[in-house]
Amino acid sequence: MNTNWKAKLGDRIPVDLGREIDIFETQMELRKQGKIDERVFAETRLRRGIYGQRYDNGQRHDGEKIQKLKIAATGLTKGPDTVWDAPGMMRIKVPFGGLNAEQMETLADLSEEYSDGISHVTTRQDIQYHFVHIEDTPALMRRLAAVGITTREACGNVVRNVTACPLAGICRDETFDVTPYAKASSKFLLGHPDTQDFGRKFKLAFSGCAQHPCGLTSMHDMGAIARSRTEDGVERRGFELYVGGGLGAVPYKAQLFDDFLPEEELLPTAQAIARVFARLGEKRNRARARIKFLIANLGIDKFRQMVDEERRKLTDDPRWTSYLPETREPGETPLKTGIALNGAERPEGFDAWYATNVYRQRQPGYVATTITLPLGDITAEQLRGLADVARRFVNETVRTTVDQNILLRWVSETDLPELYRALKKIGLAAPNAGTIVDVTSCPGTDTCKLGIASSRGLAKELRQRLSEKSFELDQAVKDLRIKVSGCFNSCGQHHIADIGFYGISRNIDGYTVPHFQVMLGGKFRDNAGAYGLAIGAVPSKRIPDVVTRVTDRYVAARQKGESFQDFIGRIGKKETKAMLEDLMKVPPHEQAPSYYSDWGDPREFTLTGMGVGECAGEVVSAAQFTLAACEREIFEAQIRFDAGDLPGAATMAYGAMVHAAEALIKTQNYDVPRDDEGIVAEFRRLFCDTQVFYDKYMGTTFADYIFKARDAMQHAGDIDKAVALQRLQEAQLFIDAAHSCYNKLIAGAVVVPAPAVAEARSA
Amino acid sequence: MTMEVQRVNVKFFAAAGCGVALDSFVRVFNSWIQGTDGEYYDLADYGHVPAGPGVVLVADEANISIDNNGDRLGLLYSRKRPLDGTNREKLVASVAAALDYCRRIEEEPALDGRMRFRGDEALIIVNDRLFAPNNEETFSALKPEIEALAKTLYGGTSFTIEREQEPRKRFAVHIKASAPFSIKTLLESLRKNVN
Repeated sequence: MNTNWKAKLGDRIPVDLGREIDIFETQMELRKQGKIDERVFAETRLRRGIYGQRYDNGQRHDGEKIQKLKIAATGLTKGPDTVWDAPGMMRIKVPFGGLNAEQMETLADLSEEYSDGISHVTTRQDIQYHFVHIEDTPALMRRLAAVGITTREACGNVVRNVTACPLAGICRDETFDVTPYAKASSKFLLGHPDTQDFGRKFKLAFSGCAQHPCGLTSMHDMGAIARSRTEDGVERRGFELYVGGGLGAVPYKAQLFDDFLPEEELLPTAQAIARVFARLGEKRNRARARIKFLIANLGIDKFRQMVDEERRKLTDDPRWTSYLPETREPGETPLKTGIALNGAERPEGFDAWYATNVYRQRQPGYVATTITLPLGDITAEQLRGLADVARRFVNETVRTTVDQNILLRWVSETDLPELYRALKKIGLAAPNAGTIVDVTSCPGTDTCKLGIASSRGLAKELRQRLSEKSFELDQAVKDLRIKVSGCFNSCGQHHIADIGFYGISRNIDGYTVPHFQVMLGGKFRDNAGAYGLAIGAVPSKRIPDVVTRVTDRYVAARQKGESFQDFIGRIGKKETKAMLEDLMKVPPHEQAPSYYSDWGDPREFTLTGMGVGECAGEVVSAAQFTLAACEREIFEAQIRFDAGDLPGAATMAYGAMVHAAEALIKTQNYDVPRDDEGIVAEFRRLFCDTQVFYDKYMGTTFADYIFKARDAMQHAGDIDKAVALQRLQEAQLFIDAAHSCYNKLIAGAVVVPAPAVAEARSA
Repeated sequence: MTMEVQRVNVKFFAAAGCGVALDSFVRVFNSWIQGTDGEYYDLADYGHVPAGPGVVLVADEANISIDNNGDRLGLLYSRKRPLDGTNREKLVASVAAALDYCRRIEEEPALDGRMRFRGDEALIIVNDRLFAPNNEETFSALKPEIEALAKTLYGGTSFTIEREQEPRKRFAVHIKASAPFSIKTLLESLRKNVN
């Protein structure tokens, strides 16, 4: 009998992958011996896909008190504040979402043996396991390697999973199949020396067309849209290449880098971009380290020029073009002949499923069917069952999607009733794919260390409520998308949803209350064509009412053919906010305690795990009042923005930031300076120089927004739409950070040093 | 080489007519967390997944879940940390732990006696495809231990042992007694006959 998976799998593990895993296993051992610094090890494991998970610092607030978890007390860590034996998350890269039956079976097995039996499809076509022990990871990685999957560079400051439209190759509107390009890029950039020294992660996506959402190229660091042109009578393939997009706290839409990058230039250009990013990208301040900030600072023209110069310096690499012959070969092949669905008996439930989950392929007689996964979750049993389905009905042509679903491609249309029966048998025949019911969500507070509110809890609730009434929903509502993130980092992609939410908190009478910021009017279509804007903060428990009210109003008041984005634009944010105003109120704790816990979590809500702190009487009341005023101001700034008053919007956004700073100063010194110059200076002295206004992950980023805005106000130039919009977004984030800082102050989690306070008071 | 059993999972199924919503167990497990001092890490709610893991209480030694895999509700005890002793001792320890959690659920005040388990059927899974592949060889190696366990549980009552036949699944056996048993009776049998 083999005593380990390495011996059992033997030659099935590719040599290079096996070697990498051996090295990682050695690094684990060295870390246990204290011979590798914990920070170095943390990045090392991240680059193997081994990620931290909530409570892995060994502490958890149980709703009443903080508990020190009984995790094997060796004192060993796998990163700063990360206990070695604490369960963590394992991310598995699935380039372009492509999976075969054997891989699905292996994923199923591993989820049972090392996780909790669930494989979770992410918003970037990855698979994630939760509650995985680090000691199990080498075996897990070897078993994946044996079926051709690597977890390398699934996390960390590297090129992440290369995503692509899941319809690539079968889409009715695509220019050409981008699959082989995504595959080649993934392979070429994986472990490439030029991609190992980034300050932050780098995400790459491919789309076969510009108009559909499937590739989401606009929100990526690098997005490539298939293009073709005819030159001298010969059709040439290339890409419309975009760079510098990204969501996160500050969303940026990608900018056009090249309107036609010839296919043979794709990989060298990606390499050149990586080199420029590695050389010039921010390294110390991780909150400003994505390539979007570098491009914004340099300007797209200068960035393009630098990439071009870098490209010219590169030595030819045969891998740049060696894959191109494959791009002209037929990609996937069907298992069966494509035959239309003609008069076959339709099982119960089939028609509803057919209406939302079946996509007619470009190839006659074939369809692709979406397997709707609730919150992206699939059990081991279902995954094995799906592997059987993939073998029986198609040639194992399966892809994960950015909607957290799975797509079965090349189904002969005539097989649909039988396929439906087979899917139903394994609980995978739910309808409503791509509708408002099909809510997307990041892990949020369920497992993510950065989560503020329960995005999955909310998504589950919305999904359940909408599902129950899906048959009576107006088609215009049914076509909308809801996306939820647990915090501003946007893993749930809330910016690009018609209706988006991201988790925040507010302090109400000494209690921390879970809220979601409501974002309306984002655009999923056109490869994530536009980002929504914040309407206001609503307590978590009233969010389902927000959805009902907004959609009811849309149905009642929309003009013929009017899109949701146009509708929101037409009625304006002032009216939209007025519509939701009453939902923003939080009743006192004694009247409605349910507001003070989050969806799916009976614990009283807490951010810091330190309980509710003491309030400082009137000073606090004044501070809260001022913070509330900021919310109003930022909203009014948005109204001005909508009305085209860009300088007015920018000035008011700055004013809101100044008042938020003033609110914080009031917690220390009631007599605040009267002018903005004095307030900003005082804010700097009390909260920035002392690092009290400091985010563990974003550092001084939020504080910097007010200083930047003040500089801009002093050197007033033309304020265009982009500048005004950015000011608005930064002001919103600054205010959210001010709330967070305020919460920490009153909870006693942070204290402004006495000398600074004394200095402020004497001044 | 002797086959060593670790990572034993044990499931006892809900009695007919138990209609407790999975959401209730989120509250129950949360109260358990509050009642101990760091024993349980967290809980995971998969109530939205049909025939899934249900609600999982995550801990260092073992996870406990109100599990609905196979569309059969029950309590699943999933041992994670290694156990000492012979294979039989490990099996007995895992079954005893599962039964004790069943008892806790049955006696849970918040559930008001609405959740009961049937003792006449137990599912034993060895959650390790390396050491215990799902084949006849493993079954032959472990059958004496499993029979001994079943005799300990059910005494003179006849029982059957059925191996899971789907080769891709983990090694698993269903032990079925020919007469009904309560959780309390099984716990007493274990206490009386082991030591």
